[in-house]
Amino acid sequence: MNFSSFLFKRFLAVLPLVFFLPLMTFVLMHYVPGNYFDSLRLNPQISPDTIKRYEELYHLNEPVLMQYGHWLKSILRLDFGYSFSYKQPVLNLLASRFWNTLALTGTSFLLAWFLAVALGLNAGLKRGGLLDKSCRLMAYLGLSIPGFFLCLLLMAAAATWTRLPLGGMESALYEDLSFGHKILDRLSHMVIPVSVLTFSSFAYLFRFMRAQTLTVTEKDFVFYLRTLRVPERSILYKHVARNAVNPMITLFGLELPALFSGAALVEIFTGWPGLGSMMLQAVRAQDLFLVLGNMMILSVLLVAGNLIADILLATLDPRIRLEGKS
Amino acid sequence: MPKARAAAVVLGFFLLAPAAPQAAAGDKPPKTMVFSVPSDPKTFNEMVAQETTSSAVTQFLFQGLTRYNPATGEVLPLLAERWSVSADGLVWTFDLRQDVKWSDGEPFTAEDVLFTFKDLIYNPKIVTPARDIFTLQGKPIEVRQEGPYRIVFTLPVPFAPFLLALNQAIMPKHALAPSVTDGTFSSAWGTDENPDHIVGTGPYRLKRYVSGERIELVRNPFYWRKDSQGQALPRVDRIMLVVVPSAEGRLLKFLQGETDAYGVTGDDYPVLKEKEKQGRFILYKTGPGFGSNFVVFNQNAKDPAKKRWFQNKKFRQAMAHSLDRPSMIDIIYNRLGALQCSPESPSTPVFYNPAVNCYDYDPQAALSLLKEEGFEDRNKDGILEDAEGTPLEFVLLTNADNPERLKIAQMIREDIARLGIQVHLLALDFNALVSKLMVTQDWDAVLIGLTGAPDPHFGANVWRTTGSLHFWESKENPPPSQQRIDTIFEQASEILDKDARKKLYDEWQEIAAEELPHIYTVLPEVIYAVNSRLMNIKASALEGPFYEIDEIDVAERPA
Repeated sequence: MNFSSFLFKRFLAVLPLVFFLPLMTFVLMHYVPGNYFDSLRLNPQISPDTIKRYEELYHLNEPVLMQYGHWLKSILRLDFGYSFSYKQPVLNLLASRFWNTLALTGTSFLLAWFLAVALGLNAGLKRGGLLDKSCRLMAYLGLSIPGFFLCLLLMAAAATWTRLPLGGMESALYEDLSFGHKILDRLSHMVIPVSVLTFSSFAYLFRFMRAQTLTVTEKDFVFYLRTLRVPERSILYKHVARNAVNPMITLFGLELPALFSGAALVEIFTGWPGLGSMMLQAVRAQDLFLVLGNMMILSVLLVAGNLIADILLATLDPRIRLEGKS
Repeated sequence: MPKARAAAVVLGFFLLAPAAPQAAAGDKPPKTMVFSVPSDPKTFNEMVAQETTSSAVTQFLFQGLTRYNPATGEVLPLLAERWSVSADGLVWTFDLRQDVKWSDGEPFTAEDVLFTFKDLIYNPKIVTPARDIFTLQGKPIEVRQEGPYRIVFTLPVPFAPFLLALNQAIMPKHALAPSVTDGTFSSAWGTDENPDHIVGTGPYRLKRYVSGERIELVRNPFYWRKDSQGQALPRVDRIMLVVVPSAEGRLLKFLQGETDAYGVTGDDYPVLKEKEKQGRFILYKTGPGFGSNFVVFNQNAKDPAKKRWFQNKKFRQAMAHSLDRPSMIDIIYNRLGALQCSPESPSTPVFYNPAVNCYDYDPQAALSLLKEEGFEDRNKDGILEDAEGTPLEFVLLTNADNPERLKIAQMIREDIARLGIQVHLLALDFNALVSKLMVTQDWDAVLIGLTGAPDPHFGANVWRTTGSLHFWESKENPPPSQQRIDTIFEQASEILDKDARKKLYDEWQEIAAEELPHIYTVLPEVIYAVNSRLMNIKASALEGPFYEIDEIDVAERPA
């Protein structure tokens, strides 16, 4: 089996997921009592006729399968539908929030991976050392303190001891700032959410990386290389590191979708205008098409993340795609 | 580890970095007020806006023919300079101000009023709540223009709150007519619109909107109002509305001085009252709020036993006596609240009737009322039974997303349980709750609230038998008192004499207090904290601290 047909097969296997997740969402949303326009029903100045007309406008009065059909048809035209509450195409809304989330999660993703791989490897190699002990304590804390709680702790600390901004992405008078100050302003708004996100995923990645390093150092080939008098530095950083990182790559692919979904809680607590906080509002308001559009993006990313992981693994370890033959 | 150290240094730099650097040097910065809003605006099109988050912005952009003075209950002229009404109350003639311009410099004329009513409000292709307000007994109002600055409304029946309803925003014909023609009006002026295209007669115009971040409003250069010295209004050049979803975030930003106003809750009050002494801000107590929190029993319950209890007036009166409302005020609002005894808020300047029976907390009175009606604990199990031996038990619904209401519901459950009635509390999502009340009608009792309005007529959908929100009572066999309520609402909306209307609505409040279809609970005291650099604040419970937004001035923002 060659590389491209391997990829094609993997692609076919995951494609149904892209449609399955939104379908599930659609069905679940349908069986939740009420719809977006119910929130208008208790306004004494809005008549039931007006609400009925709203429902007709968005096909909400039709059977669920018809509604799904309308939605699917528009998706194939790359039209993600219309948000009831924002009165805007869903795609516009998602696009405007997408980059905000990416700025937050991308930064913490890079930081967490860099720190976890570097520190995990070194902690594993010098087991029991000061670095190992302190990183393990950090990881222990990171795993046991829930992200939102850490977020609140940091915000309380920042409010007491620093002049760090406590929410949002930019200051109120951002527009008046010079270019350099604008960058500083953005960065200072990122400190708390990025720290929280980095800390939580560092904890988990660090422990994994450290365990991998420990496993690999005990392998026969390390012993063999040592008998060959290969310099210790080269053994550790070339051979051990490479082998320890390999399984991390699967993880990397699985973590990619979390780039877009994992920050929701932190976004909500710090008022960061990203996809996660918008999704929460959309679900609570039953803004159907906005929820579906969000779900669609998440499932595409989940699938893409898995594919990228497959490609990375297959490139690094050819045994994986040959498995089919034996 | 050098890399790790580098990373630590980078992180350390972030932690020490100064927040919000000051503005770049240059000419004098514009006078700016900064307020926080809980969520993004959903549209700038006032006609299709449904939620308060959008009107938080549009209130600065658009104006109506009249405006309401929340302190006196008077209706004052705004875009209309003066008006007259025919003797039968049907024909209203309005003379418009001739000095008003839209924020793009175009003149404002009767054409715009005509457009707003004919092409927008009464346009069957546009769905807008405004149409319901201006539809009287199923008929629209006839609108006609007489010259460039006179507009004549002919009503199908006399309509007392008409002047008040005319605070309806007027929209510009020259900017919006094309979207009506090509059928895109409902999505026109969405949040993705170029701000320059959004045109109003209000003191401010939209400059910029950054989704999830902030809305920037700047002075409308063509604004028509002048102060008594002839100075151009508004006095403040710019308003920033920053989106801060969490209440804690709004409080912190206010305390840090980043925003200029904050809606204070009972819990915050002691802390803020202490900090007020430092002189950085002033607290404005404006009186009981305008919303409501009340219990309704389903007099249409499917279970015949429950239906019997809930239709029994004495049962409802017993429930009212059993509620320890003073404790609710103490615990939930930190003593900063008021009893609500009538459908009207005590803050309503004209129509509140303070004389109605308020049902003191008196569990003994409640028990004897129940005993009179045959509700007694016959088998000594601690639970009351009705005359036929059915134990008293029901489900109290409320909505889960309102923490204050949830606390009230918990206290109500305990108060009623003390009488020997089992109450199961069930908190649902708002939409799910509404669909239970209005669509499936499968419920026993609910704690809910409705937004208040300065004129009781705007609650007619709740109180009239045929009203769409008259959901607690059988529409086929309403009690005799209900007929009187129907008559009152019909008559009071058609009599223009204020005293006569007041008398009718007083009677309605007395009937409501006697019959108790709604058992009202407690209202929070509405308190605003406003930065002391803001001057000329006129705060009211209904309109908040910015009723006279044009008049507000600010001192320089401290560096």
